[in-house]
Amino acid sequence: MANDAMDTPQKPAPDDSGSRPAGDWPEADWAWAPYEPDQQRPWTLERAGHLYRRAALGANWAQLQLALSAGCRLTLDKLLRPPPEALSFNHTYDQYEASAAGSDSADALRAWWLRRMIESPDPLRECLTLFWHNHFAVSNGEVKNGRAMLHYVQMLRRNALGDFRLLLGEMVQSPAVLLGLQAAANRRAQPNENLVRPLFESFALGPQVASDEDVHQAARAFTGLFVFQGRRREIPREHDEGVKDILGQTGNFGRADVVRILLEQDAASRWIVRRLYRWLISEIDDPPADLIEPLAKDFAEDYDILRLTERMLRSNLFFSDRAYRRRVKSPVEFACHIIKGLEATVPTSRLGDQLARLGQNLYHPPTVKGWAGGRHWIHSAALTGRANLAAALLGEEKAYADKLDPWHLAQKYLFADEKSAGQFLLKLFVQDDLDPSTRETLLQGQDANPADSPSERIRRLAGRIVSLPEFQLA
Amino acid sequence: MSRKSLCVIGLLSLCLGQPLWGQGSLPPANRWIPPDALICLEVSEPREILKLLADKELSEKIQQMPFYQKQAASKGFQEFLGMVRIVEATLGTDWRSALARLTGSGITIAVCPQDTVLLIVDAEDAGMLNQLHDFFLNIARTEAQKQNRSESLEPVQLDGIDTWSFDGKEAHAIISNRLILASRPEGLQAVLDRRNGTVTSCLERLEAYRQARRAAGADRAAMVYINLNVLKQVPALAGALDQSKNNPLAALLFSGITESLRASQWLALKLRIREHTLLLNALADGRTVDPAGPAAFSLPEETGQGALPICPVPRFIGGFSFYRDLHRFYAAKDDLFPERTSALIFFENMMGIFFSGRDLTDEVLGEIQPEIRLVVAEQQYDPAIGTPQVCYPAFAAVLRLREPEQFAEVMEEAWQKALGLINFTRGQQALPGLIIDRPEHHQTKFTVAYFSTTGIEDPSRLPERFNLRPALAMVGEFLILSSTEQLARDLIEALDAERQRPVRPMAQVHSLVEIDGGQLASILKANYQTFVRKNMVDEGKTQEQAEAAIDVLITLVGLIDRLRLEVGSRRGLARADLEVRLNLP
Repeated sequence: MANDAMDTPQKPAPDDSGSRPAGDWPEADWAWAPYEPDQQRPWTLERAGHLYRRAALGANWAQLQLALSAGCRLTLDKLLRPPPEALSFNHTYDQYEASAAGSDSADALRAWWLRRMIESPDPLRECLTLFWHNHFAVSNGEVKNGRAMLHYVQMLRRNALGDFRLLLGEMVQSPAVLLGLQAAANRRAQPNENLVRPLFESFALGPQVASDEDVHQAARAFTGLFVFQGRRREIPREHDEGVKDILGQTGNFGRADVVRILLEQDAASRWIVRRLYRWLISEIDDPPADLIEPLAKDFAEDYDILRLTERMLRSNLFFSDRAYRRRVKSPVEFACHIIKGLEATVPTSRLGDQLARLGQNLYHPPTVKGWAGGRHWIHSAALTGRANLAAALLGEEKAYADKLDPWHLAQKYLFADEKSAGQFLLKLFVQDDLDPSTRETLLQGQDANPADSPSERIRRLAGRIVSLPEFQLA
Repeated sequence: MSRKSLCVIGLLSLCLGQPLWGQGSLPPANRWIPPDALICLEVSEPREILKLLADKELSEKIQQMPFYQKQAASKGFQEFLGMVRIVEATLGTDWRSALARLTGSGITIAVCPQDTVLLIVDAEDAGMLNQLHDFFLNIARTEAQKQNRSESLEPVQLDGIDTWSFDGKEAHAIISNRLILASRPEGLQAVLDRRNGTVTSCLERLEAYRQARRAAGADRAAMVYINLNVLKQVPALAGALDQSKNNPLAALLFSGITESLRASQWLALKLRIREHTLLLNALADGRTVDPAGPAAFSLPEETGQGALPICPVPRFIGGFSFYRDLHRFYAAKDDLFPERTSALIFFENMMGIFFSGRDLTDEVLGEIQPEIRLVVAEQQYDPAIGTPQVCYPAFAAVLRLREPEQFAEVMEEAWQKALGLINFTRGQQALPGLIIDRPEHHQTKFTVAYFSTTGIEDPSRLPERFNLRPALAMVGEFLILSSTEQLARDLIEALDAERQRPVRPMAQVHSLVEIDGGQLASILKANYQTFVRKNMVDEGKTQEQAEAAIDVLITLVGLIDRLRLEVGSRRGLARADLEVRLNLP
């Protein structure tokens, strides 16, 4: 099977939406219509790799080959509707994590989440959990409570592909969120805007939709909510029972009303669609309103995150040049793509530390707006850091040395000699979608240091491939 | 190197042997070892060691253990067992007998410069040695043919001796009943040069080696000679020996040891076996610490002085007993660890708060006698409260005070201040604090602090704080600082008994360590899932792999009944005596 795939003639690159010149936005009807492979836009290894990068934190060779043979629709079905064993997997990992949540630190939880990302049979859920962690960004640096952080991430995971209304409703009363935003005390005498302001401006509506007065009135609706010893408490005497005016509605509102009012705003669905667009499709440019509008309207009907995600992932736009390599991988994605590609399980405690040094410390987003992402991930120091991490993963560091073995993996898939093993790695990591001169240089460099063993040379080649600019793009 | 070649060399390595000192035909193996060997292990009584470690009943016991059965099911292990069976069939005897006959006259392993390792095996049965070699030679030839390798694996003559190399890297030869295996061909050549007399320098004639052998004495099953002159130049070891200069704890714990090693040319380790007990004595030629020097705080001043025996308590995991004059130690801090002195200012300021402005050196540490004991024990949890998710051992320090009547209250005040500070800090973090109580046990009133147990949700998974119930007690001249109330009570009883029958210090012993393997295995088992899960994320193992690793650890620890290490001096020379009593059938 592997060799057949390698013999497949070169497919056209995905930037072939044909009649749609670069720079022009496609019509919404075409953009969100399901992608149907045809002769002009066939289902290729590049597109399968693109899908797995965005929706599964990477793929191994067998998954890519299976995707090619099963076709786009079935591959997406599999990602969107995970196998039954995903339930027991998540249950087991919930237990692992629960035992790691006893201290103030979230380092052990971070290690388990990374391992879950690498091993999960439901990788889309982990992608979306990471998306929501970035969206409802709360740091254990403020919370200082491992158990509260565990419950917060479990809440994100449980609702990651569910109903956004439930997610938002649970989020505004999560002890971790309240502690993380310094909103653990909401007294009638002094309404606390620390939660409500980001709720309006970052979590639900986006900036400049609500006025300061709306925020102040909504903060009154949250009074009576406290966190004591890591647990949420309602104190009725501290709740402001007065009438509030919030976004044009008047009444004796509580926090559930605030969530309802927020979700009744057109801006809410548009904001979430735009955020998810940046995550799943492209972070390069801001899509026009008429492109977003159909999805936003549909999403506003029942706030079904799975349906919104499915529509984006199945769309023509997702498989067009508007999306292909239009995102920079975060450090977590970068590491997961290497590790999953090489079919290994690594010491994730150590990996978590190294990713933190690269700027992405899970459970510790830097601000309430999450990680800045995009080009911020790839300044010159970060690129050096990525190359160092790749070198460590691929054998220079003792902790990882026996875990990732590209030469052994190539042999497993019957790429027996060094040349074919090199081509295998190019297809695995960048789907061979490289400038020919870059490819030539890489494969020629393979012969350097002939005194080394094939395993060492292939390790170095893998390190060079994952340090390519193309590999830094999702 | 192929897997089978490795297997061949591995099995050959098992068949070690030592020169036939008494048989006349070959000189002692150490005459063939270059004098620049860094480490040389000589097993003079292999049968004694085999009798202990390859004992049939022990093997059967190990085979019944779950970890062995898991491992035995693996493909690699089955291949290994298959190879052992083939070897047994070829030699016409079981592996134990074969090993004894192949190695019975001694084993010598030398680590030399340039990554050269020499192995010299003297077999009792030269015929069996040659038979085994032929067997592996045939396997290596078959392997080479399968892999289309060009080498013929025919012997090469060196100095009139047939030599072979199975993988192109190692080199070996058989001379009479002696197998010589070198990790590099140059190593084998060095041995042959000494055999034929072209080079006369050898380990046997090295003065330091001869001194080490004399110090070790004749009554031994094995001996290790270590050339410290050379090894001390290895940056890692040199760094370790210098660590005390910037690490006060290292300076405190390893005083007397590092000074002696720094002054030594050689270190000799001597192994003896008595029934189920391994006795390992370490001797070095460096003098112990200068009585007038800064490190003399660990030097018992009088002949009869030394560390006290460790307090016996129920569920004892381990104990440490030190002779360390803390007053003298801290007074010499500028000389002992000059690089860290400034960092101790904060520590001194904090101590000033706890001890109400008293001078730490003279008025606090000066009140403590040099006999310091530490005890570690497994905890028993109150079923009415529950068991923590992670079970920590209890630990306690027993200090001997010079003026207990005056200083006991000073300690009590400092202790309660510390608890207050902890409570305040925890309160800032919205965490529950400690409640102080004054119970009585064996007519001793003591202080204990505990966490409230109200509102516990799951008694089977208590938070880790329930491992702590800190206590302070005074029993006569002894002060107990314990992490748990239970251990404090046990120590009150132990020290009460000690008052009835006073214990004598161990003369000239400055450090004593004891470990109970069974109890250590027990606490490892109590935290089995915690270790497995930690191993999974720290080592990147699967659950099955992590379980296997912990099973091996628990099994190995369980094989140790009791371990005891004494460090001190004898006739002005540093010494360490390790006694390991094995838990064998």
